[in-house]
Order: sequence, then C-alpha cells, then structure tokens
Amino acid sequence: MKWDVQVQNKSLIHRLSKHKIRQRKNRLSTVGSAALLLLLIVILTGCNNNPFASENAAADQGAGKFRITATTGMIADAARQVGGEHVYVTGLMGPGVDPHMYKASQGDIRKLDEADLVLYNGLHLEGSMTNIMEKMSRTRNVAAVTASIPASELRQSEENASEHDPHIWFDVRLWMQCVEQIRDSLIAADPDHAQDYQANAAAYLAELKQLDEDVREQIASIPQQSRVLVTAHDAFGYYGDAYNIEVRGLQGISTASEYGSRDVSELRDMLVERSIKAVFVESSVPARSMEAIIAGAAQQGHMVNIGGELYSDALGEQGSDAGDYIGMVRHNTDTIVKALR
Amino acid sequence: MSSDFWIMLTAALMSACCGLLGCFLILRKMALIGDAISHAVLPGIAIAFLLSGGRDSMAMMIGATALGLIAVFLIQWLQSSGIQSDASIGIIFTALFAIGVILVSLNARNIDLDLDCVLFGEIAYVQWDTWMMSGMDMGPRSVWMLGFALLVILTLLGLFYKQFKITAFDPAMAAACGIPVMVFHYLLMGMVSMTSVASFESVGAILVVGMLVIPAATAYLLTDRLGRMLIYSVIVGIVSSIVGYYTAYVLNASIGGSIVTVAGILFIITFLLSPRHGILFRKLQHLKLNKTSLDHDMK
Repeated sequence: MKWDVQVQNKSLIHRLSKHKIRQRKNRLSTVGSAALLLLLIVILTGCNNNPFASENAAADQGAGKFRITATTGMIADAARQVGGEHVYVTGLMGPGVDPHMYKASQGDIRKLDEADLVLYNGLHLEGSMTNIMEKMSRTRNVAAVTASIPASELRQSEENASEHDPHIWFDVRLWMQCVEQIRDSLIAADPDHAQDYQANAAAYLAELKQLDEDVREQIASIPQQSRVLVTAHDAFGYYGDAYNIEVRGLQGISTASEYGSRDVSELRDMLVERSIKAVFVESSVPARSMEAIIAGAAQQGHMVNIGGELYSDALGEQGSDAGDYIGMVRHNTDTIVKALR
Repeated sequence: MSSDFWIMLTAALMSACCGLLGCFLILRKMALIGDAISHAVLPGIAIAFLLSGGRDSMAMMIGATALGLIAVFLIQWLQSSGIQSDASIGIIFTALFAIGVILVSLNARNIDLDLDCVLFGEIAYVQWDTWMMSGMDMGPRSVWMLGFALLVILTLLGLFYKQFKITAFDPAMAAACGIPVMVFHYLLMGMVSMTSVASFESVGAILVVGMLVIPAATAYLLTDRLGRMLIYSVIVGIVSSIVGYYTAYVLNASIGGSIVTVAGILFIITFLLSPRHGILFRKLQHLKLNKTSLDHDMK
C-alpha cells in the first residue's frame, strides 16, 4: 500500500517540478503529525477536570463507622457478624468470583486505602494479592484470617510441606478459628467496642458450632459406600476430612492447573465401579469438565447425574439462600446429601 | 504520595520502556515477542518453585528472567538460522509454555502455581508493594525497578543508537559496515526480555504486551524517521497510561485493561487521521493524484 503511493508519487514527481512537491509534503506531514499528536493529548486529557477530587458515594455510606475491607464474601460475612452495627464491611470479590483469578478494578484501591482494617484469607488463596497484603501489614491494620490456625491442622500439599490448601472455610470448625481471628483483629484495631465484638462473636460461634454438628449428622446419613463427593476442582478437601466423606477432584487446587487425560478416565472408572449416583459442578468453575466425565460413564452404561451446583470459592448472590456463609454450607450439604443418598 | 500518582508513574515508566523497545520490535517484525515471553517463562517459574520449595517472589523472578532470556535467545537464534520471525516466535513460546505445563502438572498439581498468581503483578497494587531499605520506606519497588530498566535502555540506545538503527532497518548493510549485527540483536532481545519480566512482575501481562506493540505501531503511522518514532511512541505510551488511568477511575474498571484500550483507541484515531499513512489522507491524496494526472493527460 505504502509502496503504491510512493510509486505514484514518483511518476508525479517526474511530471511536475521535483523539489517543491517533496519539500512541501515533508513539511506538511511533520507539522500534521505533531498537530495530531497534540490534538489527541488535548482531547483526551482536557476533558477531565481531576476526577479524583470527587468523593465516591460508596465511601460516604460507611461514614462514622469502623471500615473493614475483606477479600472474599465469606470473610466479609464473618466480619459483618462480628462487627455488627459498629462496622461497615466492603467485600472485594463478588458472588461467583474465583479468588485465584480475581482482577482488581480501580475502585478497589480506594476500598483498600480507606479501610481501617483489611481482612484476607491468606495461604495464597488470593494469588498475587497475598504478597501485597503481607507488605501492607507492615504499616497498616491488615490481617490474614487463617493466621492463627496451627500448621498441623492445615492440609499440606503432597509434594511440598510448606504449601497448604487455602480453602479452610469448608471445615466449619476451622472457620470458627478464623472468626476468632477476625474478632481479635477487630478488637485490636478498635478497642472501644471490644465488648460488643466479644458478644457478637460468641453468638455467631455458637451458631457455627450448631452448623458443624448438623453437617456432620447429615453427611453421616449417606451410606458409607456411596459417600464420595466428585467435584471439578479440589477445593472440598477440608470438607471431606472434617465430615468423613471421600473427595475426588478433577483439577488441582488451582482452577488454572489443567487436568490430565488419565485423571478423567480414572475418575470415570471409579464412578462406574462404585456406582456413584451424582457428581457436582461448582459455581466458580465451568461445568464442561464434569460433563465429559458423565458422558464417559454413560458410554459404559452407568448413568451419573449432575447433583446440583455447589458453592466453593464464593458465596451466592446476596439475598439468595447461599448468600451468607451459614447458608452456603447448608446449601452445599443439602445438595450433596440429596444427590448421594 | 497518593496511590494515583504512583500508579500513573509506574504505568508511564513501563510505557516509556516498552515504547522505546517496541519501535525496534515493530521494525524487525517481532512485535508479539512480549506475548511470547509472557508464556515462555512458565517453566522458569516451575523450576524455581522446585528448587526453592516455595513461592518466594525473588526466586520466581530469577526463574522467569532466566527463561525469558533463554526464550528470546532461542527465538533470535532460530530467526538468524533462516526461520521466519513469526514462526520462530510461535515455535519457541509454545514449546516452552508446553514444557512449563508438563512441569507444573508433574510437580505441583495441588499447588496454585499459575503465572497469574505467582508472577504477574497487578498495577492497582504497586503503591503498597514498597521497597524497604534499612527500615526506610523508599517508595514502590516497581518504580525503582522500571526506572532502572528505563535508565539501562536509554543508556544503551544512546550509546549505540546508530548501530541499533542500521541493524533494525538493514542487517545486511549493517554487517557490511562492520557492525556486529548479532551482538546488537541479542542486546536488544536481552533488553526486551528483562523489561518484560520486570514489567510483568509489577503491572501484569496484558499491559506489557499491549504497550510493546500499540504505541510503537501508532508512532510508525506518524513518521518515517526512527528518532521521531521513538519520541512519538513514548508520548503515546505515557498519554495512554494517564488517560487510561482516568478511564479506569470513571468506569471503576481494571486499570491495565483501560490503559491498553485507550492505547488502542489512540491507534485507531491515528490510523484514520494520520497525515502520512492515515486512511483519510491517503484517500484524499489518491483523489488528488487522479485529478492531477487526469488534468495532465488532458493537456
């Protein structure tokens, strides 16, 4: 294309006086280029009159309250329960968001900057955010809710003892330790309302204890033989350990690690052999991988259902039955028990 | 200092580095090398994880830098041996990425070891990732890292501007002039690799890949002279960074995504309106040419 123009130029130059044209063209385009660049800068920068000065409406809502910013919905829910009326809690990751893959938006900076206390899960759940949180904790009130859980109670990875499974909220008892951590961090950061925080936490912990017993009882009602939870992503490890149900996942802990073809066939064979009735999909992981397994089992003459959607890395929509932590655990347990029993 | 300032400064430094190097990459038809590096570093991460036994960011960075260099040198080597540049980029980065996927699936299946988590940073967080030296807060680490990268690039380009220029345009002529062409190719690739990895770590992948290509391509439409192209490219990069950040603020969106989008919009505007290669101007010129030759023929 460019050559075309140049070739045409050449013939033109032969026909008309050479130098005048070339000079004029050069000057014209230099001036033009500079002018265009300038114009772009003016258009694009000029129309904004320092928007950073305007106040964010969301920030005003929490005026006068102790502001907490939490990464996951589970943590935000616990902070709301413990903080009660004294706190204004903002969650960064909405319903159905996979914390491993979370992408920050510009507004998150303000939420984190203005928070009086930042709560995050830790154990590398938040991916690259974890390092930032650790660095922020040098100068500000930032706490990992899993910090006080002893390493012996965490699930280690097979290959590497220093790496732990971050999905602790599936074991309600471990989550209770996180709630205690949230309570302690909150009291340390805002000692004025220590008594209320103590009382709120005690009430919530009692609810969680009841929840833990209920889940244990419900899962125990599934016959031992078919007590296998097959999910797309290996997040339910703590759930399996705590409530005595075998957990088989297709992917690794990370939603990004790929599954091997042998995994698929092994899992399919297990489903057929033990005649497991259902497998589960998760709210934050696409269902496709599970559908492949079901198709595989069907070819061998064993019908497997999709047992329903489980919530793994995020809560449900606010207001739905899985919109808070207790609701999420109950939803998951009900779904599992109904499908497998 | 406010977060806004640090984020825009980081973005501007990164855009300047990428803008300068991008010009040479465009001229050498290797613009997508940034994307290649962003994938090719995976085995480096996996090996660093195996050796260090953890997700320590320093070890990850060293692993990524090593693999980044290996990748660009392999690409350069294939290209110098006569493989087309796009094919050599494609071969090396897919092969290295595939090796990385195998290493991760063999050794770290139950560990969250993907590039997004362990290497790629997020520009929204740069102001909290400060560099502490003997208890003193020295400001964001990424500003230091990218500032240093920019300094190295400016020094090397300043010292060897002529050599880089001739090797980029016409390697054969450069060789005839007695310039060690391969040395400058590898030098450029080394700079690209270091800058990319440092930028990935501070601001994330999409931003770096975009800024290596788009501002340079925009500048290429505005001028035919390398000196001006470099300057325009840096200006376009910096303007995109600042305007992109404002856009992210207004939309409450991802900062990296907004900056690249703004750069893309700038490119399209330039593509339509550029006085030299813009579509509109070319159309006009075409019409004018037709008219003059018609007039001429009629005479």
